Amino acid sequence: MRGTRGLLVGLCGLVLAGCASTPPSADALAANDPYEQTNRDMLKLNGKIDRYFVIPTVGIYFLLVPEGGRRGVHNFLGNLSLPTIFVNDMLQGEVSRAGKSVWRLFINTTVGIAGFWDPASKMGIPGHGEDFGQTLAVWGVKEGPYLVLPFFGPSNPRDAFGMATDAAMDPTNQIPFKQHIWWSAGREYFTLLDLRGQTYQTIQGIQRSSVDYYSSLRNLYRQMRAEQIRNGRPANQELPDF
Amino acid sequence: MRLKNPPVLTRRAMLASAAMGSLLGAHPAAAAAGTVAETFVDENIHKGLDILKDKKLTLTQRRDQFETLLLGLVDVRRIALFTLGQYRRTAPPEDVEAFVNAFKNYATAAYQSYFAKYTNQTLKVTGSTQRSDTDFIVQTLLIDPNSSQQPSEVDFRIRTDSGKPVLVDVAYQGIWLSLEERDQFVAFLGQNNGNVRSLIAHLSELAVNLGKQT
Repeated sequence: MRGTRGLLVGLCGLVLAGCASTPPSADALAANDPYEQTNRDMLKLNGKIDRYFVIPTVGIYFLLVPEGGRRGVHNFLGNLSLPTIFVNDMLQGEVSRAGKSVWRLFINTTVGIAGFWDPASKMGIPGHGEDFGQTLAVWGVKEGPYLVLPFFGPSNPRDAFGMATDAAMDPTNQIPFKQHIWWSAGREYFTLLDLRGQTYQTIQGIQRSSVDYYSSLRNLYRQMRAEQIRNGRPANQELPDF
Repeated sequence: MRLKNPPVLTRRAMLASAAMGSLLGAHPAAAAAGTVAETFVDENIHKGLDILKDKKLTLTQRRDQFETLLLGLVDVRRIALFTLGQYRRTAPPEDVEAFVNAFKNYATAAYQSYFAKYTNQTLKVTGSTQRSDTDFIVQTLLIDPNSSQQPSEVDFRIRTDSGKPVLVDVAYQGIWLSLEERDQFVAFLGQNNGNVRSLIAHLSELAVNLGKQT
């Protein structure tokens, strides 16, 4: 069974295809953002969802669950992602990192009690992330135009396809059981709470200091993805002269 | 995706280049300039963090001291002109000059706001790379002594064109501030018919609001 994430990404694609009828401006084309107006509308929609639904529930989550518990949830969710990270490590030819993913999964699932603790980091095997969007980038697939997906936010066709593929290859989505939809929805919900809780202050800072929040997010997303794809290796030579 | 620790490959590459440089005795002047850039960052960023965490200073004293230090270290004019993108060429010269002034106030408030979050952390210079004779990237790690998390990577771009090192950009975890500002400003100007005065008004308002929060 495919995860709810894959289904939602597919629906997002349909929504965007339906909205992409306005001709793009020259600036939007220059910024590789031909659907800019639709993307801006989508960002507004996401902002409302965030304000009226996500932030209040994050507030309740922080109120009810102490810091140690939230860290445990964060570790548990990270541990669930390790099989997908391992597959992407291998697909990118990063054998050493793949080995670290296997060790982390083994140590944290056993000693770390189902991944709620992270003894692997203390043993010198810190976490890293990988996803199929990054794998496609390593294989030479271009990112395509910038997109803002409903619920998921900044993306592009390559990363959106990668996200759906990661959901499809996730082993927990392959286990057949009756209430699978609740498992998937619960996992996505806690991932959202965890992520939003961690980024609350950062996003607030960006909103307060931005001249144009939309283009600020677009640039930050692109720079962040570029850094993730090159695994942090310096790209100093790519910087513009000024 | 790597989270926060420098990759082994990069560390090995840096060690290898350092070893090769010392063996061959290559580019002693460049190496010296790299050291100058590293020292510049090491000394001055600590000075800035010390000002921001000095509880004896009033809000105004802290802001004034930080501004004085920052304007002595940062080539604000160079950054401001870069962030205008293509509009630098088409805007009236008097608007460009007014923008440079507005940007100075905005940058001071924004930098103060960014660095104020890290006053309990220490910055460790780990090395530098040279892009040209006068262009260096100094790599540092931001270490939080009260956290078990991996240190964050912060890079400083230093130019030495005028003979004296100046800071022209900062990157947090690979995200360069000036590139992000340029995209914002160019998008804003694109939506406002290239009217630099509207950007100046917006920046001035932001600088005031950011100043109130720090």
